[in-house]
Amino acid sequence: MTEQAPSSRAERLWKHLLAPRDIAALVAFRVALGGLITVSSIRFLAYGWVDVLFVRPRFHFTYWGFDWVPALPAPWMHAVFAALAVLGVFLSAGLFYRATTVLLFVAFTYVQLVDVSNYLNHYYLVSLLLGLLVFVPAHRAFSVDAWRRPALRSDTLPAWCTLLLRFQVTVVYVFAGLAKLTSDWLLHAQPLSIWLSARTSLPWVGPLLEQRWVAYAAAWSGFLFDTTIVAFLVSRRLRPFAYGVVIVFHAATSVLFPIGMFPFIMVTAALVFFESSWPRRLGARLRGLMRRDAAPSAPVPLAPVSAAPGWKAWVALGAAVAYGGVQLAVPLRTHLYGGNVLWHEQGMRFSWRVMAREKNGSVTFIVRSPTTGREWHVSPNEHLTRLQEREMSVQPDLVLQLARHIARDFEARGHGAVEVRADVRVSLNGRPAEVLVDPNVDLAREVDGLAPKPWILPAPDSPPIRLRPTLRAARAEPL
Amino acid sequence: MKTPSPFPLSARRTSALLLLTALTWLPGCKESDKGKDDAGPGGGPGETDTTRADLLKATGVCVEKTARQFLEASTALTGAVSRYAAQPDATTRAEARVAFHAAMDVWQVAEVMQVGPAAPRGAAGGAELRDNIYSWPLVSRCAVEEQVVSKSYETAGFPTSLVSRRGLYPLEYLLFHEGEDTACQGTSPIVAQGTWAALSSEERASRKRAYALAVAQDVNQRATQLVKAWAADQDNFANTLATAGSGNTVFPSTQAALNSLSDALFYFEKEGKDLKLARPLGMRECSTDTCPEHLESQFAGRSKANLRANVRGFRLIAEGCGEGYAGTGFDDVLVAAGAEALAQKLRERIAGAEAVFATIEEDDLRQALAQDKPSVRALHDAFKGVTDVLKTELVTVLDLELPQSVEGDND
Repeated sequence: MTEQAPSSRAERLWKHLLAPRDIAALVAFRVALGGLITVSSIRFLAYGWVDVLFVRPRFHFTYWGFDWVPALPAPWMHAVFAALAVLGVFLSAGLFYRATTVLLFVAFTYVQLVDVSNYLNHYYLVSLLLGLLVFVPAHRAFSVDAWRRPALRSDTLPAWCTLLLRFQVTVVYVFAGLAKLTSDWLLHAQPLSIWLSARTSLPWVGPLLEQRWVAYAAAWSGFLFDTTIVAFLVSRRLRPFAYGVVIVFHAATSVLFPIGMFPFIMVTAALVFFESSWPRRLGARLRGLMRRDAAPSAPVPLAPVSAAPGWKAWVALGAAVAYGGVQLAVPLRTHLYGGNVLWHEQGMRFSWRVMAREKNGSVTFIVRSPTTGREWHVSPNEHLTRLQEREMSVQPDLVLQLARHIARDFEARGHGAVEVRADVRVSLNGRPAEVLVDPNVDLAREVDGLAPKPWILPAPDSPPIRLRPTLRAARAEPL
Repeated sequence: MKTPSPFPLSARRTSALLLLTALTWLPGCKESDKGKDDAGPGGGPGETDTTRADLLKATGVCVEKTARQFLEASTALTGAVSRYAAQPDATTRAEARVAFHAAMDVWQVAEVMQVGPAAPRGAAGGAELRDNIYSWPLVSRCAVEEQVVSKSYETAGFPTSLVSRRGLYPLEYLLFHEGEDTACQGTSPIVAQGTWAALSSEERASRKRAYALAVAQDVNQRATQLVKAWAADQDNFANTLATAGSGNTVFPSTQAALNSLSDALFYFEKEGKDLKLARPLGMRECSTDTCPEHLESQFAGRSKANLRANVRGFRLIAEGCGEGYAGTGFDDVLVAAGAEALAQKLRERIAGAEAVFATIEEDDLRQALAQDKPSVRALHDAFKGVTDVLKTELVTVLDLELPQSVEGDND
């Protein structure tokens, strides 16, 4: 008989989840993540991005259900980023850990919620990781908290802490890979071909980048990397090599594309796949290099699991499973809408479609007073910064938000209720520009929500642009 | 027999990985990675990149050529205004006006070429020379009339006064507006204290001529600075543009320089389509059917001529700066990249916009708005046809970015 008794399966599950693991790896992760948050926040302040992205805009795009989140006045917005920088240091140091992780999660998430046009997948990931760290006591060793409160100290954490973080990083890589399972990416090497041909002035690799085979190699490499890297990172034997590939891959993207902290965050996040004592082993190795007679410190001895979990543990497990379900369902939700998500963008956010499209649009709003018949044209730049306009121009829900804002603006100026239609032309991956939004629909009457938006017109069915390879490469190709 | 090390292989691997991890941070230091040649040992740049570099070089030549033409025109203008100030009569005034038209014809071409020194200080290589020569739409007739009363144009600080008090806009007002009225409201000291009204017609006209000369000389000085900034034997910004890439502190990559050019072309949308056409047409910021008061160059009545020159400037960059728009332009970069259809579309849209001018029979848009508004609307739509291509397919295919771009991972 092969079937196990339920109690036995539960025991094995709990044994697996609660098995003590060296805390060192999660401490290293905590220190690195705190450092990244500090560096990232300082960059925002130093480069003036706080003003550009949060203070200067007169209108902010809100997430559905979060339109109550206000943009704070300039001094407070700067203070939030300064606080993030300080809290990042606190996280690294393990100081006031519980309060720090909660505050970091709240503050970092708040910053993301202020304006949809600032949405970045990697900052969404940081928010999620911070949310998970609230429940992971990664401050029980190598922290100011543990130094101040000896009772807190522990060299181990239950295995679920690592598993939770591994799950999160796995979701990112796998869905980022699946997002590349499109004809544009795999059959036409777009948008990579466009991006690479714009970077041919790079030293050393530049001349290669406009050759067609390079774009195809990069497209397939990216797809295979994202979809398989976690499997290799999980393998104990292949992990070091896989992590080497992670580093090379993200270093390459960092050189080629303006994606800021993304490579650093992913290189840091991938550390969660290493065995739990790697920092101690590394430390011992480094000490050995400096002082050859130094005795290497052994990994922490792991005590077996003793007590059976109570009802709270079951509740926690249920919450974790629910969280995992949400993390799987959210990226998949776009399939409920059908069509090409890169075109209609329904279900695009929070689905790890990283660097999946090159898309630009031109939008003009046509406002009409039904009482007088008078018509006005409104350019987005009357309400938006150029960065906001660029994002809005290709995302129908943001077009809708601005249309409704324009309607309110006209009403406030005494024009009464007006109709707002939009002339939206969008080019996706170099295709000829097509109309994205039905120009006959009065957007002032439409409401935002999760339901499919029938006023989004179908995606063009033509292939993306096929850029010409270099003459050198062209000569090498048969006609 | 080998003594087993506690962590032999894994520790070595971990050390190697630590080193690799550190290497990932190197790209973050690339801003200081100067002094390398643009083309690495892998060979010269490819065909597409050569055309991009050609475009940068050709644009530098084009902007310098236009700047020299403007310097020549502004020198002639200064001379004409000087003669008018010295011997005011109908003939010298007419000559000054003709010289103004000639200078403005060139300047409106240059308006679409706000790259480097002409661009705002926040832009790459920006020195704000454009605003010092012509600050429209940041203009104020009242501010100019206040200077007429205060005679601040005679002071040493005049060249550093607000740009709305200097440049081609005040010059146009001073040379062309013949009325005795003022645009200032009662809150202005020249109205509240009665100093404008207290000036005799002769005195006011005399001051206007003197002010016009001061402005013309200041514009000429700025034009000289603009030529100096671009000239090969002086500051040589043309070379800065042409040598974009590693080691270039202004344009660290060809793409950054190309972005600057495309930013300049966006003048066609914001100033051209939206401010010069949509506003007077009553399509925005206008409570009546039309708003001719928003037209550019109202005193000289040359709003149509300005737009025509803008199209010409746009076409010089988009298609080529030579005779009949020969030479390297954005369309050549598109063709080299394999986007022939887009290049053709761009050329057709620009030619379409240029052709619309022939359908506007009136000399200026003020009359056209009153007599044939649909023709002006057609011009607006033709401009939109060009800017739609610019904002969608052109920036997509060439992967052009907006200024002040920040990080992104969506595209």
